[in-house]
Formats: sequence, C-alpha cells, structure tokens
Amino acid sequence: MSFEPKIVGFLCNWCAYTGADLAGTSRMKYPPNVRVIRVMCSGRVDPQFVVKAFEQGADGVLIAGCHPPSDCHYINGNYKTFRRFPLLVKLLSQFGIEEKRLRLEWVSAAEGEKFAKVVTEMTEEIRRLGPLYGKKSREGGE
Amino acid sequence: MIEPRIGVYICHCGHNIAGTVDVVEVAKFASGLPYVVVSRDYQFMCSDSGQNLIKEDIKEHNLNRVVVASCSPLMHEITFRTACRQAGLNQYEFTMANIREHVSWVAIDMASATEKAKAQVSAAVRRAALLEPLETRMVKINPTAMVVGSGVAGIEAALRIAEGGKKVYLVEKKSSIGGNMAYLDKTFPTLDCAACILTPKMVAVKNNPNIEILTYSEVEEVKGFVGNFQVKVRKKARYVDLEKCNACQDCVEVCPVSVPNEFEFGHNDRKAIYRLFPQAVPNTFLIDKQETTPCKATCPIHQDAAGYIALVAKEKYKEAMEVIRRANPLPAVCGRVCFHPCETECRRKLVDEPIAIQQLKRFVYDWCYEHGVGMEIPEIEEEKKEKVAIIGSGPSGLACAYDLRQKGYKVTIFEAFDEPGGMLRTCIPEFRLPRNILDRDIDYIKGMGVEIKTGIKVGKDIDFDKLREDYDAVYIATGAYAGKKMGIPGEDAEGVFDSVEFLIKVNMTAKPKGIVSGNVMIVGGGNSAVDAARVALRLGAKKVDIYYRRTEREMPADEFEVEQARAEGVGLNIMTAPVEILTENGKVKAVRCIRMDMTEPDETGRRRPVPIEGSEYEVDYDYVIMAISQEPDLTAIEGKKGFEITKWNTIDVNSDNMTTGVKGVFAGGDVVRGPASVVEAMCDGKKAAIAIDQYLSGVKEKDIKVDYDANIVKRKEEVDWVEYYKEKARQSRVKMRELEPEVRRKNFDEVLLGFSEDEAIKEAERCLHCGPCVECYECVRVCEPEAIIHDDKDEIIELDVGTIIVATGYKQMDGAEVKQFMYGRHPDVLTALEFERLVNAAGFTEGKIVTSKGKEPESIAILHCIGSRDENYHKYCSSVCCMYALKLAHLVKERTNAEVYQLYIDMRAKGKGYEEFYNRLLREGVRFIRGRAASVTTFYLYPEEKGKIIVRCEDTLLNRIRRIPVDMVVLCMAIEPTEDAQRIANIFNISRSQDGFFLEKHPKLAPVETANDGVFIAGACQGPKDIPDSVAQGGAAGAAALSLIDKGEVEIEGAIAVINEEICSGCRICNNLCPYSAIEFDEEKKVSRVIEALCKGCGTCVSACPSSAITALHFTDEQIIAEIEGVLI
Repeated sequence: MSFEPKIVGFLCNWCAYTGADLAGTSRMKYPPNVRVIRVMCSGRVDPQFVVKAFEQGADGVLIAGCHPPSDCHYINGNYKTFRRFPLLVKLLSQFGIEEKRLRLEWVSAAEGEKFAKVVTEMTEEIRRLGPLYGKKSREGGE
Repeated sequence: MIEPRIGVYICHCGHNIAGTVDVVEVAKFASGLPYVVVSRDYQFMCSDSGQNLIKEDIKEHNLNRVVVASCSPLMHEITFRTACRQAGLNQYEFTMANIREHVSWVAIDMASATEKAKAQVSAAVRRAALLEPLETRMVKINPTAMVVGSGVAGIEAALRIAEGGKKVYLVEKKSSIGGNMAYLDKTFPTLDCAACILTPKMVAVKNNPNIEILTYSEVEEVKGFVGNFQVKVRKKARYVDLEKCNACQDCVEVCPVSVPNEFEFGHNDRKAIYRLFPQAVPNTFLIDKQETTPCKATCPIHQDAAGYIALVAKEKYKEAMEVIRRANPLPAVCGRVCFHPCETECRRKLVDEPIAIQQLKRFVYDWCYEHGVGMEIPEIEEEKKEKVAIIGSGPSGLACAYDLRQKGYKVTIFEAFDEPGGMLRTCIPEFRLPRNILDRDIDYIKGMGVEIKTGIKVGKDIDFDKLREDYDAVYIATGAYAGKKMGIPGEDAEGVFDSVEFLIKVNMTAKPKGIVSGNVMIVGGGNSAVDAARVALRLGAKKVDIYYRRTEREMPADEFEVEQARAEGVGLNIMTAPVEILTENGKVKAVRCIRMDMTEPDETGRRRPVPIEGSEYEVDYDYVIMAISQEPDLTAIEGKKGFEITKWNTIDVNSDNMTTGVKGVFAGGDVVRGPASVVEAMCDGKKAAIAIDQYLSGVKEKDIKVDYDANIVKRKEEVDWVEYYKEKARQSRVKMRELEPEVRRKNFDEVLLGFSEDEAIKEAERCLHCGPCVECYECVRVCEPEAIIHDDKDEIIELDVGTIIVATGYKQMDGAEVKQFMYGRHPDVLTALEFERLVNAAGFTEGKIVTSKGKEPESIAILHCIGSRDENYHKYCSSVCCMYALKLAHLVKERTNAEVYQLYIDMRAKGKGYEEFYNRLLREGVRFIRGRAASVTTFYLYPEEKGKIIVRCEDTLLNRIRRIPVDMVVLCMAIEPTEDAQRIANIFNISRSQDGFFLEKHPKLAPVETANDGVFIAGACQGPKDIPDSVAQGGAAGAAALSLIDKGEVEIEGAIAVINEEICSGCRICNNLCPYSAIEFDEEKKVSRVIEALCKGCGTCVSACPSSAITALHFTDEQIIAEIEGVLI
C-alpha cells in the first residue's frame, strides 16, 4: 500500500471552511488525507499548534484563510497569519521539516474548486516527500 | 471538575453519509473513545426524533457533553445546540464533526472515508471532553434600519420596514432613487408601463415619514455588529439645496454647458445642472461639478475663466463681465498682460491648442466698455470705520484695496511715483498696455472710494510708524524696483542701464525719444528684457540684440512676446554672455562677449551654461541694458524692527496669511516674492485683504487663516484626457489680429487689435467644459428660491442602525467589450437598455422607433446571450434577457412594420405567464432563429445586403450558416455585478460568489441572509433576476430585518477572548493587534483587558500572546490541541 500522508488542515470558519463545505456540496472528489480543524480566523492558528501537529505525527499542515486584502471576516486577521507564516517556515526548516510540508492558502467561501485542488496537490506533494516520522523518532524508533 | 459523560451520534443523512461512510463502524469506534457513555448511529439526526434521541439520552444517561457527526456546523449547529439547551445542557457543551461536506460527499472510497470520519469524530470527542459552559450575552437591536441601493428591491425593502413603523435610511449613490427599472419602458409579460408601476412606489417612499432618503450618497464605513452598526455615509455635494429647489428648471435654460446625457446613453445632451430623469425622486436638480476647471484652479486668483468663456459663446457679455469681476479687480489689465498660466493647463491643448483665455477676457472688457455695460461701481457691503494703509499702487496694492473697500474698509494707497499703477505703469510698455486702459481699471477702483495719494514715498516723505499710528492695518506692496548688476568691468559707464531704470525713464518721460539710439544690447531672457528690446527699437535704435546665456527654450520670457520681438527685427544671440563693457571717454563703445556651452543636466535636472575658453569676441554697441533681475526696495521699512528680511532682500511673511510678524502689518507681491507676475501679486493682495479683514474683525494674528483654495474641487477619479478627447474634432485657436511689424516698430500703439464678436464666439466655443460645470453662476442669477450653493461640500453623516439591507443592483455589461458586434462602431447597434430608452416615450427619440438616420427600420435583430452563457465572459445565464427580448419584439411589432428576428440559444420562459407570452409572440410573427449570433458586419456580399447591417449566425435547426440583413441590432448584454461590488462587499463584510454577485448565507434556506449577521441582501446584487423576484427578495429582506427588530434583542456568541490578569505581563502586543480595538490597557494594574462588548472572538490576540495569558473561549489552546491529537489517531 502506498504511503498515505496525514495532513492537518486549519480552516477559518468564514472563508476556507465554507469553501470546503462548497466543495462537498458540489460533490468534488479529493483525497481524504486532510483532517479538518475549524478555527474562527486563520489568525487564531498559534504556531505551537503547527509544531504540535508535526510532533503528533502529521506529515503536513495546511492553514487556509480568507483572501487578502479585504475578505477577512475580522478585517485583517489573515494579514497576521500572513506575517507569521514565513517565521514559522523558517523555524520548521531549522527542525529539518521541509518547507513544502506547511502550506498557507487563501480560499474564499466561493472557491470549493480551489480547496479541492489545494488538497489534491498538497497530498501529492507530501506523498512524494514521504513520511515525516516525527512520532516514531520521538518514541525512540529508527 | 465533573467527569465528562459524552454522547456521540453518527448521522446517516439518508444515503448522503451512510452511502460512503460505514456509520455503524464509526459509532462502534466512538464508543471506545474516552468518556463516551453512549454512541449511536441514526437515520436523520436533525429530525425531531433525532433530536429527541439526544434529549432522552441526556436525561437517561446523565450526559454532560454531546457530539453529533453529521453535516457542516454552518448548517445545523444551532439546531443541535438548541436541542441540548432544551435538555438542560449549556449550548457550548455541544460540538459537531462534519462528516458529510468534508467526508462523505468528497470521498473516493468507503474505506478511506470511514477512516477520515473516525478521525473527525475522534477529534470532536476529545474536544468535547474539554468543553466548558459559557454565558451568552443579549444585546438590544437598534430599531432603525438602513437600505443601501434604491432600485425596486431596495424600495420594496424600505417600504416594508417603514410600513411596519420603523425608521429607515435609504441610501442611494445616484441623484435619484429608482435604480435600473427607471430606464425601462414596459415590463414583461404583462406589458405594464415600468414608470407607471415604479413611480408610485418612488413617491410612496418620498411620502413615508419613516423613510429618510439620502441620494447622491455612498456608505464609506460600517462598524459594529448585528443590532448595533455605526455607519458613515458620504453625502456628495449636490451644489443645489434639496429643501429650496422647486424644480422650476429656470437654471436649465440659462446653463451654457451641455454634456452627454448618461441616462440616455449619450444619445442626447443634458445641461451641467440637471436631474437624472423627469420623475426623479427627490425631484430636485444638482450640478455636475466633478472638479474646478483646471484654468480656474491654476489661476493664482482663481478667475472663473471657463465661466466667462461659456458666456461669451452664448453672447452674454455683460454677464461674462460680472463673472470676471467676481475674482478680478483688474480685468482690463489682465486681459492684456497676464502671463495666463490658465492656458498652460487648458485641457483643449490635449486636442489641439489651448483656448485664448486671456484674449477672451480682453474682448469681454473691451466690448462692455464700448457698450457702456458692466462698468457700474459695485455696492459696498457695509461701511466700516477701520482704516487701512496700502504702500504701493501696483497690482498687489490695487487688488488688496479693491477687496478691502468692497468689505467697507476705508482704504488709502500711498504711491511714490506721481501716477498710480506701479510696475503696470512704470515698466510695462504702452504698446502692450495702453495707459488709458490702465487708467480705466484704476479709475474703477478709485470710484469705489479708494483714496490714492501719489508722490509720497513712505520712509522718506512720511514715516512708516506714522502710518501704523494713523491706520488700523498696513499692507506693504512696494514691489521690486532695484535693478541688479552683473558685476563685470565697465558696467558703470555712461550708456549702461538696468532694464527697470530704462523702462521707468521711458515710461515716465513725456518725450522719451533719444534715450537710446544706435546699436543697443539687451542682456537677459525674461519678459523685461524683451520689453526693453522692443521699447529700444521704438525709440529709434538702429539695431537691437538680446543676449541670453542659455538656450532659447530656457528663456523665461513669454514665447509669444519673443516671436513678436523677432518679427519686429530684434536680434537674438543665445548661449552668449558679455564679459566686459569696453568704453571710450567713459561711454560704451563695444562689448566683449563669450560663447557658452551647456553642461549635462545635474542632479536637479537643470543644465548650466559654462564659458567656452577662447571663444571671446567684440561687438560694437552704443548702449547696454541689463535685464538680469530686480530686488525689492525696502525704503519704507528701513530701520524698523520686527521684520525678517531674507537673503534675497525680500520681506519674510507667513505665506498662509501674509502676516509679517509686526502687529497689523502685512506684505505681499514682489516685495515678498521677488520679481514675479501681475496675477501672483494680485493673489497676495487678495489674500492679504482676507487676512486684514479677519485681523480687523478681532481674530488674533496667529489664528488668522486664509484658505484661498477652499472652494477648489478636485476630481475624485483620474481620467486619461488624451484618450477621452481622442474623437474630438480639431479646430485651431483664433489668432488675434495685430499691427504689422513694420508699422508697429515705429510707434507705441497697441500691437494686438482685439477680437471681433464673431471671432470671440468662435474661440469661446472651443472650450471643452471639462468641469463640466464652468462656474458661470448663471444658475445663481436666475434661481428665485436661491437654492444654488456653489461652495457646497461633501458631508459625512454618521448613522446608528440595527440592520442593513444591501440592494445595490447590477450593471449592464459594456457593449464594446464584445467586439464582433460592432457596438460603438455602428450607430444602429444598441444595447437592450439603450433600446429601452429608444422605445420609451420619455427617451431620446420620444418613443419613435427609428434608426440613427431617422428612418423607420424595415428589420431588427435581437441577439440573445451577449456576454452570458459564454466561457469568454460570463458562464451564467443573465436570466431576464429572453423575456425582455420578447417584450422588445412585441413593442417593435406594435409600433412599426419591421420584421423582428430573435437569435437565441435556448428560450427560457420559466415564470408565471412567461411561456404564454412566448406563445403569443410566436403568433405575432416574430422570427425565431435558434443559434447564437456569431458577428455583425457591414461588408455586403449580395445586392440586397447593401446598406444593411448583416448578422451572421448558425441556424442550428436548419443546420446552416445564415446572413440576416437588418437595419438595427439590439444586443441583450449580460447582467454583471456593479463596478464597485468588491468595495461594497468589503464595507459590509459580505462575500461574493464566483460569478461576482454577493453570496447569500444559503442558496435555498437563507437567500437574503449573509454570513454577516444583521446584513441582508436583496435583488440583482445577489444574482441576475427580474422585477418580480427582486421585489420578492426586497420584501423578504425587509421582513427579515423587521423580525430582528421586533425580537428586540439578539444573542451574541459567548466565544470571546479573556485575559488572565495574573499572567498578563502588560506587554501590550495584543492592544494594537485587535482589529476592533477591543483590548484596553489598565494603566493602574499594568495589564490588558478585553472589552467584552467589542470582542468578536477571532482569536488573533490569543495566538500572539507571548505569555499565554489570553484564552479564546470555546477555542482554547487545550481544545484545539486535543483536536490535533484526535485527528492524528
């Protein structure tokens, strides 16, 4: 059996989560690898959540929020996410976690198609990268 | 903490979930999770019995947490929260797992879907164990509503709420309510007259005391939350008082400016003062003033140039004179010697040449003087006792005197020369400004009661302090008379003058002949050099040459003057400078000159002249006149304390209000600026007059504020004028007649001879009216109720409302976007809305169906789906075109004998009575061709196609390509979101669907609600729809708002952020991060605190807090981390 990556998806309630709902309503098919956690705003995604997800065995993390400059339901929460993101990528790369394992996407409530596309692409990408082995190494394996 | 007892419910949702997810397996899996007491699967959890199942389990098993795995929480979270609450739980002790939209509906196979469902359920269960009960807050709903957009949907919504007894603000961007429906002639399928059914509704809106209409207004900002919005509305300047205007139209008759009428798509003109359409509500006019015309804005004294030009074109010279005098106290002078910066900025130059603004002013003055009109001395507003002394009677002093006198002050001007006028008299040659003309302007000012004491030099004949004692205020406008020397050997010789000295000598002597003779050299490149040269010529000099050290292009002198001088025989030596004046017996004999070269441009972009070594040469001259520069003569204030003198020897003033720092003393003109122009000097004088008026009215000197540009209106959007005027026909400027050079070089007669009436009108008609209002004040003159307010300003209104309905409508796609149908290139290709205006009795043909040549068409083709159902433009169906195309066909058939072709893809007639209407049209003999039109052309292949518009299409029923020759083509253009849809979406925090229209909360169950509570949408802004549907949505949105209002209060989410003061370090990072400024800092305790009423629970502050002092209730770190662990099982 081929490697099935586990991806944790933090979706903001107003755009990305609704966009994912729309993908469902429109019956778009995409890989089942992204497991969704709903947050009110992408700005709520504490960097420690991302670190925690990798530590708990995630092979990838997706953060999705509203389109800049002005779609954000909370005026500019998405900007704060946008600004935190590069630091987070830098931090993770120092832990040896490849850049491509963390992805930030803007998905509007009307972009079911985009959500499905992002999930499909990311799953493929991480399947190519292989498992992160985060959990195993912590448990002293390999 | 009480141990969690969790109930888990896996919904089948019929086949929707159970078809792809093994729900029994998931329920079994859930039963093994920590703290799970009950785990079930059930057919429909959202049904009554499903909800009862939860309620019973809560009682029976003493559950304190509930997890439902079913559809999206955006769908049924509230349903289940309510069920839990009814069974005694706190609604926040419930959570949901989305295994339908996010799992079963997108799944590829059952095994992986079941796995994913388990993960989502496991996350929800882990989260549930950590949930805590929360308090919700109730907030009052402000019963006032706001409706944005006043098309038929907005009108319906506003009426619905107002008739329910609640106050409504109806905000409309245009100057009248009515929206797109106001364009229509008849409506399908009943053929009601659109105006007949819309106008009564508009009037009902106007007459309803609960509705406050804000037309010509736009919402700029919305703050707050459901029930409590704070809205900022910009009420654009209308320039007409809504209360006073009685729509008598007197202003329309006199307005000289015609512009294309946008309501008739430019097929006819309207005036700059107009109303959108005759039945407009409010039925008042407004002025289309998008900007102050650039000529007026640029003019230092803001002369209403476009205004008097427009009046000249209408032969209203007396009125033109009045307009000129509004800003200009020296019209005769300025009509002749102003350096007219207005013409440099004139937009006509982007077409061909600028308007002869200055010469038209001269025409107006000369005509009025000859005909003895417009020369009446103005009335003095109110005599005042304060006295003002003005030193210097040049343009600055005169302008100041005029304005102050008009306000009623007693003004005395002190002039050092024996005659008044300053440089206008002493330095400007008579052939440019005849003395009798100058005297007319001065006499006019004297006639107002301004006293001019000549022959008194302040500082010599009378002490400056004495003036300050005798007068309440002093304005120093003594000019810049002291000529500068070059500092070269020999310049003290006999026969060397500075230009001012020379011109004064000539102008103030009765018989000036012989002041110079023989060969004369002029040094300098400014107007005063050119004047001196032309004067020298007229005094009988044999040869006159101007020497300038830079290139001709860089000469500061007016190009026109240089040309004139050249025509008269003045020589021009550029890039040459004198280095020594050679003398014989103390008199000029020759001048040694050197050639100059220009450097590459330096950092400032300016090239400097540098001497070319060894290029020196000698030329014989008898006289040298140096026109280098002038410096102010400060005799008046010599030795007086308190004045600041700059390094250029000018008086330093506060340029905002012309104060000198010495109490009650103001200064302006050349004495402040150094040598400058007449109109700039006048501007200083006028500013000083305003400042002196304030000073004498008791305003403290430091508080004196002169905002001379206050009424200059700037255009809000940039326009590419070259593009805008590219179709404009070229017509060159009318050249003013002048004396022949051979004649004029021998005397001091005025060179320019003036315009004839015909010439002036022809020139004035070239004005583009780019304001478009030209500010001629004709409307002011005729308006009996005094409703015109030319200095009206935009106003920001702040409103508090509880609910908002957005009904901003649609726009018709631009016909030119789809190029193959010749829209904009053939006058008989019209869009459907244009055709509505054509068939409308109030439209541009008064309802006559005729081609652009005025003939009744023999055939018309109506092309469906232009821009709609088209991958290249809009994928969607515009929904209304089939039916209105039938209606238009019916109207054509009813009124003409024309053949009508309908080119359609599919006929869509899905509404009540629509199919019947379609059948009726089939019987009326309209030709239906199934096939989308491909293109429109005028190239004919067959003789019968000659002179016709040929529509090419594929007839899919006949299976062949057809060419249909017709006389008119109607394009059923797509219905699009408005241009400002994104801005509106941002302001109201609503989303747009992929087609660009506003996104409803749910396409079926919540069609007028949005994701932003308290904001509703109605009408075509949500998607293309016809009038019945728009009205239905308007009514629905109105009712939705009313039900919120009636409820009186609304529950606000308890999921907000809280700060633990024990942990907070007071770093204040969160303070600035909060988009709602909901975090305040307690200065005493040095900790931050969340203002509950303002917090919306986004959680941005929580993830930023370095000491983890902030908790997002219902989305705590622990809960989210539990979910992470849950999904990664």
